[in-house]
Amino acid sequence: MNNSTPDMNELLVQYLDGEIQGEEKNNLEQQLAADAALQQQYDSLLLTRESIRYYGLQQKVASIHQEMMNEMQIAPVKPISNSRRTLRYALSVAASLLLLVGGYIAYQFFTLSPDKVFSANYQPYELSSTRDINTTETATEKAYRAGNYKEVIRIYSAKEETGVKAAFLSGVSAMQSKDFTSAINNFTAVLDMNKGAAVKTLNDDAEYYLALSYIHTRDYDYALELMDKIKQDPAHTYHSKVTKKMIRQVKMLKWR
Amino acid sequence: MEVIRNFSDQELVDNLKGGKRMDETIKAIYRSHFEGLSWYIMNNSGSQQDAEDVFQEVVVNFIDLVKKDKFRGESTIKTFLFSLNRHTWLNELKRRGRAVAREEKFAKGTYGEQEKDRITPDGHQAIADREGKAAILKLVAALGDTCKKILLLFYYENMSMKEILDATDYDNEQVVRNKKYKCLKQLEQMILEKPSLKDTLKNLLHE
Repeated sequence: MNNSTPDMNELLVQYLDGEIQGEEKNNLEQQLAADAALQQQYDSLLLTRESIRYYGLQQKVASIHQEMMNEMQIAPVKPISNSRRTLRYALSVAASLLLLVGGYIAYQFFTLSPDKVFSANYQPYELSSTRDINTTETATEKAYRAGNYKEVIRIYSAKEETGVKAAFLSGVSAMQSKDFTSAINNFTAVLDMNKGAAVKTLNDDAEYYLALSYIHTRDYDYALELMDKIKQDPAHTYHSKVTKKMIRQVKMLKWR
Repeated sequence: MEVIRNFSDQELVDNLKGGKRMDETIKAIYRSHFEGLSWYIMNNSGSQQDAEDVFQEVVVNFIDLVKKDKFRGESTIKTFLFSLNRHTWLNELKRRGRAVAREEKFAKGTYGEQEKDRITPDGHQAIADREGKAAILKLVAALGDTCKKILLLFYYENMSMKEILDATDYDNEQVVRNKKYKCLKQLEQMILEKPSLKDTLKNLLHE
């Protein structure tokens, strides 16, 4: 029997599509059971239909796939490999440390004030308690030792007493009285008087206290100039007082 | 605005089997399972693109199995999908010539050792022969647009000849019927010309 007739082909397709019923269907099924070649022909149609259905399903999912990928791009999944996990941990520790250090620096930066730097480095000048028996204590020295800073300033202002020492004591007295502008004038006078002198009196002290006064009046460039000079001179009386930290803090104040 | 809803496993299976609310159901599968499955691939030497490609393939195979009543709810959909995903990916790694055992590092975490190996033999078959399936898709894609449309409407969407007539420009149902017949025979011929695809299709048909 020739199963390749157009009629038989069409009949098989109709059977595939469920379009034949009753006796016709039964006859075909009997033929299929008895004829391996016909069954093979029918199987070929089944496989063809299966390929269409599989393609249809794939197309359906593909049409939704991109839409869903776009929707879920908001939170893409990241791989975590062992090495990356270690790296991530290390980075998070580093980040925490950085945050702590950064936070500390930021805290220091924003809470830093000229008052703070001044207070951390200022100590009232103390007159030496040992005296040469051949010299007598001056009025400014006496008043300063007694803590009578107003009197020291008055004596120097009234020119009742002049000279480097009186100017210096007037300067430190002004600092004690929170009059930093006057203090700056007094210390500058000390430095001027010492210029060209064979023996400089209280020059190192005046420089240090002048620098502190400049910090208080926010003249940081002048302060830094003096501080650098002190820092670079190991023989300076206040060399060890001017620390790197102090210089760094004044530089930070400059950028506030 | 689209309403996003979750389906129970049973609802998902019923929808897929009956071809009901397919878009919504497929989207629900993506939303519920893509992240977990892609996590597995991306932690086993896969890229984001690999994860997306494999997931798409897994969803196609899963729906195909459900439609053929090969998923009988013996495990959860999550476990079943994970198994399909894992085997698909391991096959792909094998194909790429990698040391599979060495690659699989983090499978345990989310699903556990026991669950990941619980896959039905049908499932194994379903993910076999990826290249054969890809070749079949390519073959059907090579059909003319009109043929593809008529065959898909009839055999995939299960539309009647009358419905197809309404969706096309043909004069009457008989013309559509004749066209469909010719297209089917054309595709059959294309498949017959590639004997190597026969086994793939047989597996697909009987999985």
